[in-house]
Amino acid sequence: MYPAPFEYVKAAAWHDAVDLLKEHGDDARVLAGGQSLVPMMSLRLASPTHVVDVNDIDGGTIRERNGTVEIPALARHAELERSPVLASVCPLLAEAAGLIGNVRVRHRGTLGGSLAHGDPSAELPCALLALEGTVRALGPEGERRIRAGSFFRSYFTTSLAPSEVVVAVEVPAARDRSGAAFVEFANRAGDFAIVGVAAVVHLDDSDGCRGVRLTAGGISDRPVDLSEPAAALLGQPPNEALIADVAGAVSESSDPRGDDRATPEYRRQLVGVLTKRALHRAWRRAAGAEP
Amino acid sequence: MRKSPIALTVNGRTREAWVWPHQTLLQVLRDVLGATEVKYGCGEGVCSTCTVLMDGESINSCLMFAVQAAGRSVTTVKGLAQGEELHPLQESFLAHDAAQCGFCTPGMLLIAHEFIGRHPQPSREEIREALAGNLCRCTGYTKIIDAVESFAMDRKDPASTPPAGAAPR
Amino acid sequence: MTATSDVEPRERTETPLHTVGTSVTHDDFVQKVRGSLAYADDWSLPGMLFGRVVRAQVPSARITSIDVGEAARLPGVVAILTAADVPNNAIAEEASGLGMSPVVMPVLAEDRIRYQGEPVALVAAEDPEVAEQAAELVMVATEDFPGVFSPERALEPDAPHVHDSGNEIVEWRIGRGDAERALRDAPVVVEGTYRSQRVDHAYLEPEAGVGWIDGDVLTLRVATQVIEHAREIARILGLAESRVRVIGTYMGGGFGGKEDLTVEPHLALLVWKTRRPVKMVWSRQESLLARWKRHPFVMHYSTGADRDGRILAQRIRIVGDGGAYPLLSPRVLFAAAVTAAGPYAAPEVQIVSTAAFTNTVPSSAMRGFGAMQVVFAYEAQMDRLARAVGLTPTEVRERNFLREGDTIPTGERLDTHVALPEAMHTALERLGPRPEDADGWRVGRGFACNMQPYGRARYFADSASCWLGLEPDGSLLIRIGITDLGGGQAASLCQIACEILGVPMERTTIHISDSALTPPAGGTFATRQLYMSGNAVLQTARELRERLLPVVTDLLGAEPTDEVLFAGGQVSIRDPDRSASLREVVRECERRGVDTAHLTTFHAEAGEFDPRTGQGKTFPDYTYGTHAVDVAVDPETGAVRILRYVACHDVGRAINPQRVEGQIQGGVAQGVGYALSEEVRIEEGVNVAALFADYLIPTSTDLPDIEPIVLEVGPGKGPFGARGIGEPSIAPCAAALAGAIADAIGERITELPMTPERVLRALKHAETAGGDGSA
Repeated sequence: MYPAPFEYVKAAAWHDAVDLLKEHGDDARVLAGGQSLVPMMSLRLASPTHVVDVNDIDGGTIRERNGTVEIPALARHAELERSPVLASVCPLLAEAAGLIGNVRVRHRGTLGGSLAHGDPSAELPCALLALEGTVRALGPEGERRIRAGSFFRSYFTTSLAPSEVVVAVEVPAARDRSGAAFVEFANRAGDFAIVGVAAVVHLDDSDGCRGVRLTAGGISDRPVDLSEPAAALLGQPPNEALIADVAGAVSESSDPRGDDRATPEYRRQLVGVLTKRALHRAWRRAAGAEP
Repeated sequence: MRKSPIALTVNGRTREAWVWPHQTLLQVLRDVLGATEVKYGCGEGVCSTCTVLMDGESINSCLMFAVQAAGRSVTTVKGLAQGEELHPLQESFLAHDAAQCGFCTPGMLLIAHEFIGRHPQPSREEIREALAGNLCRCTGYTKIIDAVESFAMDRKDPASTPPAGAAPR
Repeated sequence: MTATSDVEPRERTETPLHTVGTSVTHDDFVQKVRGSLAYADDWSLPGMLFGRVVRAQVPSARITSIDVGEAARLPGVVAILTAADVPNNAIAEEASGLGMSPVVMPVLAEDRIRYQGEPVALVAAEDPEVAEQAAELVMVATEDFPGVFSPERALEPDAPHVHDSGNEIVEWRIGRGDAERALRDAPVVVEGTYRSQRVDHAYLEPEAGVGWIDGDVLTLRVATQVIEHAREIARILGLAESRVRVIGTYMGGGFGGKEDLTVEPHLALLVWKTRRPVKMVWSRQESLLARWKRHPFVMHYSTGADRDGRILAQRIRIVGDGGAYPLLSPRVLFAAAVTAAGPYAAPEVQIVSTAAFTNTVPSSAMRGFGAMQVVFAYEAQMDRLARAVGLTPTEVRERNFLREGDTIPTGERLDTHVALPEAMHTALERLGPRPEDADGWRVGRGFACNMQPYGRARYFADSASCWLGLEPDGSLLIRIGITDLGGGQAASLCQIACEILGVPMERTTIHISDSALTPPAGGTFATRQLYMSGNAVLQTARELRERLLPVVTDLLGAEPTDEVLFAGGQVSIRDPDRSASLREVVRECERRGVDTAHLTTFHAEAGEFDPRTGQGKTFPDYTYGTHAVDVAVDPETGAVRILRYVACHDVGRAINPQRVEGQIQGGVAQGVGYALSEEVRIEEGVNVAALFADYLIPTSTDLPDIEPIVLEVGPGKGPFGARGIGEPSIAPCAAALAGAIADAIGERITELPMTPERVLRALKHAETAGGDGSA
């Protein structure tokens, strides 16, 4: 019910945070939005001796430069949801953020925090993987860039080194004639999704599919890249039947885990259904037929 | 481990408290500052009975440490009424019987207040969606939505707002 | 003080009612919107300690040692108690007319642990964090002890024993005629097995309270539905019963979860030991893990009928999982047995209703109380029967509905109106034409009828006392021991008193829930409060008015035969028009030595029940209703969206119509959660997910606007002909939704909750196997 006592330190800049993490090792945790960390501490599932508050760090704003969208790690989910920049050049991230929890969680939760937490059912990791985004991490050795495909390792485990923090995220700006969609299924509004699917479809001038990205969360220990089976859409205009085929292939080839939220069979069913719906909506958006 | 002093504004008044880092804002509001109108319902950020406005934005006070609120402004449900005079949203809740056990009511009022402030003319469905993060176990939500909807409509037409303190028949 | 039997149910009032029947608000609701109502946790005393329970982590074990050394050395820890520190370490339950249960529940586990979460020790410390820390440091060493985790297994002869006296808690047999023979001879027999799950009350206010010693009285201010537990506390501490005082707070929800003891014995022990005030608040997770739940039931039904769909016989077997201790299992399974055949004719019937011990968290009271689970079964049977004989679901019910004057399986005659045809038709008419399938979603419609008892079983000889006093200024003071769990229990009593005595609501103050200071009225459970305390207030107010009448007649210079109106703070007559204020009346009474205060006890009609024959008097009356619902099912995910929900109940008289609507809507919301998403998942006695995030109660987006229809067609036995409404509206939901989903997908789901996954599985089964004809 009550978190165990800890030393509280505020980091003024990212390198301060890194130094503090390095100093205290495994017993230190970064406090960003706190929407995952604080309840874990209240339930005594996490009892760090040092908590490093990074909320005062000025990470800049969401902006697009030369085809790349840069988003500070401390961007709140609500900011992502409402950002006019993202609405224009990375709507998938805005849509995914808007599906997170409830408005209070979105007011505080951060992009960096969500990614670093590495919940395999979470929306932002799945969306980032679909976007082939890059995580910029700062550690004692300096800054490095980690591709989304290498970032998520396992349950609540990322490739961040012990004293590394996420400082920013980069995603390619959406191209013309591309559309994206994030679709998830939860047993109840605002709950953790059982399965979530992100899709990006890119059409050429004759409405043929020239690019497709497909990822799913909640079916494995990390978000899964399903763009390979989705590649069956390439080279021709998408249609319902083709999308249904892809959905079927995804469903059949997936080997989801079971837990007390859902059985493997149900997850398998869901990933197929959500794939179909996400691809369909992304395609329609790419074609300008849907907002 | 030592306590440190923080100062924050609660419902417009400056308050000071000595707090441990591990005390949540909820705990300090309730146990140190006497703001028991902010409730503990789950400690997980799920029920939202601990809702307060922090610098005007709704948050779960059980998911923030008190030290993080230093220098910030907190509004609880007691910040809605003007002394004895209830806020029209509170009057609407009474008129529509939107509170039964009342435990979710402070959080509901704050979230509704914030939502209508941002969306002055919502549809009923939009109101329903906006309240989805606030659990209620007694009312089934219908009368809460009635109250919020009625408040939003009355705001458009201030002449139809019931006077403060009116007891409906 | 006077005693009287049941109030004449058909209330004839010459003058229109002025307060009863209006949707007037009350001060406690004003406090709730202000945020100023002090719930149990919103109360502190100087020098207060914080209490914490140390709980068993395993479901079945023998305790070999408890080491409190490290915990006790933690700075700020003031006391640690174990079983040896409890003067009388036993809570015993009166098991419904069968005498005291041989099984007692210890306050703190002594040598055995029987369920995960069982209290083993108590800690009191200066700070809540220290108490929590200390609780974690208490070392309870155990060795394995074989456990049993399903009631079916528990009832097998070679099952491990939860208690030495065996694993059967209770078995009720209700029967008449020869159901076996009748079933054999019946032209049509439909059978079904139905399973309901363990659910939690999930009120938003966790269990909480503060205790302190006042003079030599141990005082507890707690969120409880039953302040009469004061006697139990006294017994546990070995004190005279008069030395314990329980003050009940306005609760943030109860629903039966605060009906048994929760924090009271723990607080009492810590207060008594430390001689300091102590606060205890259970964490949500602790509450989900360790506090009593609704009984899961397995129900086997065989319903025999003639070819016209008239029921000839019912054979019903109910097995409930009582968990590790008896608590109220006997009463829950009794209510289930009495109502198992539903509001339908059952000329020959055999009902066996059993509760078994298992090594899981105990099951006890929860809104609906056994009479709820069975609705899921008996309504499914009615729909099955309809299909078997080629009738519509409404036709088969019309053919079998009980009517006033009919007898139920216990042999009792129903002596009030059974408004089921009205409720059923009104609910379905309100739904109107069936919506079409749209956007790939499949629409289905279903409905369910139910009967829910209100009032305690007669053999408890229930009573409720009320004190009313008119103050010199004409305002009214009400003292009554009820507890208020948020349903406006206190507020409704004010309306009744104001109706009779004419005091305006805003000049009425009610004091409730204090075992030292308010006349005992019994707990708020069994949908008894309006019936019992409402009648107590009505009776007291009427008698007081009778006493005032001679004074009033003199004051107004009226004839004894003149009709006097008490309203708006005045007494008045017509022709000639004369009036006086209540203040003047009180002054005149004082002058004459007429007491303006009065205390009476309302006694419910008592009755005997013979457990051997299963015949006799059970519940005083029932509330009848029908819920009708339209759903849309997503055939790809199994998601169920409720398009419309209509809930119609005959409440006899709505004391406060808006509040009655609210009760109905709230019951429906809980019923929907029960039907579609809630489950406390326990495997081999271990709770797999005791987080609120995992316990799925409906949010606003999981429900449509709930449309309550309040009928007032059949006066009941409450004040002004009211019937209770607290429980009835939660019970038909699962059955109505099951019927609607079945209509949409072609198969009736017989296990709760009907999660999307279960719905999808049933849908696929219907597609491959042709379904069961439900669509």
